[in-house]
Amino acid sequence: MSLFAKFERVAAARQALDSKGPAPIATPIESVHSATRGRIDGREVLLAGTNNYLGLTFDQGVLEAAGSALRGLGSGTTGSRMANGSYDGHRALEQELAEAFGWPSAMVFSTGYQANLGALSTLAGRGEYLVLDSDSHASLYDGARLSQAETIRFRHNDPDNLDRRLARLGTDASKALIVVEGLYSMLGDQPPLHEFVEVKERHGAWLLVDEAHSFGVFGERGLGLTESCGLLDRVDFVVGTFSKSLAGLGGFCVSPHPEMNHMRLASRPYIFTASPSPATIAGTRQALALLLDGQALRAQLERNYRRLYAAAADMGYQLGSTTPGPVAAIILPDRETALAHWHGLLEAGVYANLMIPPATPAGLNLLRISMSAAHSDEDVDTIIAALAELSVPVSA
Amino acid sequence: METEIKVSDLRKQAEEAISAALPRALPEHADIDWFSALTGDIGLDSVQIMNLVMEIEDELDLSVPVDLLAEVTTLDQLANQLKRLLESRS
Repeated sequence: MSLFAKFERVAAARQALDSKGPAPIATPIESVHSATRGRIDGREVLLAGTNNYLGLTFDQGVLEAAGSALRGLGSGTTGSRMANGSYDGHRALEQELAEAFGWPSAMVFSTGYQANLGALSTLAGRGEYLVLDSDSHASLYDGARLSQAETIRFRHNDPDNLDRRLARLGTDASKALIVVEGLYSMLGDQPPLHEFVEVKERHGAWLLVDEAHSFGVFGERGLGLTESCGLLDRVDFVVGTFSKSLAGLGGFCVSPHPEMNHMRLASRPYIFTASPSPATIAGTRQALALLLDGQALRAQLERNYRRLYAAAADMGYQLGSTTPGPVAAIILPDRETALAHWHGLLEAGVYANLMIPPATPAGLNLLRISMSAAHSDEDVDTIIAALAELSVPVSA
Repeated sequence: METEIKVSDLRKQAEEAISAALPRALPEHADIDWFSALTGDIGLDSVQIMNLVMEIEDELDLSVPVDLLAEVTTLDQLANQLKRLLESRS
């Protein structure tokens, strides 16, 4: 029996997606020229599937900060934060993140994936509990696997279901860390955060909000759904990423609890990896400043996604969320239709994401569009016109 | 003797919960053989199995730890694990 035999099913599924034209999974992107333009299969395309919500990847200030750090501090730190990889920039970024939230604790991780891995695996240990929304991102599930805590799931976006699960724990609920996301990246839906906070407080549990897709997008200062809901003083941890609105690479965890800083001494995904490069940190710091003062960017982003949501609904498309947000997930009845839509959109010069099971919840086949503040009104027109050209399935 | 009866009752309770949950979670697989491998033979993915377990959890009003499922490949094994959880709760 070959070690590779177990991959045969996924390899066959991958091959079934092959057809003429560019691959819909791991699409080869030949080049990217701006936050909204790139080249695929020899053609210029409008990028509408890159999670580049604020469109800062080509911001001149971000590029200059990163370039200056690259030349001044070298291409990499070549070491862990616990050894030789803790530069002034890493500590300054942590300070700036903590100040943005008005909290005493902030930790920077090398990727967003590692931020979730590091936070979950370390915050909840043996004899404690992780209580995850069932639609949680893979990084949260992997963090739970790395943890010694007992992991249970509650029904997606269902505070009553969470309430019952915490009730079953009894007094042990005080040792439970609830994990929800500020914006679910597959369907683009948001949690009923007020209700979750009330359930958490009723049981004396802890709450972590992963704002990977909502940081920069929601809230007056862009701190995420927690800020826009007015709940910053009622959650215990916020995790986020640098690789979406902040246009870089890395992740963070912030907390109103000063003791969270002790996690540095115990979190394996924080310790046993090289720290982010100086250029990454410098670019992220610049992007963070723009994000915090980015009300105009958020207004443009909101204008763009509201237009797309309204137009898609008018065309009869079923979306993964009824609340407009930066991710518009068009639910299609089967894989073939989703694939045809993905190719159709690309033919029209628009790159989006094809999302299929098991990466999606409830076995859904999705055409996922992510909007950016860098999309112009004409870009939104182009995306809407491209969708209008495709035949709308009667029901998903 | 009394304990034996109780344990078999719990196994029956677990089986009934699975039977009730199956058509709700996996309508197209409601007649799954109890000894078939859920992923290997039936071709279920992890999300489908998770949905089934969540239906069973509601049916039995208990939470199934995620790592417990790592040892489960068939419905028969799932029933055994559920029986153990019910035992530890009673």
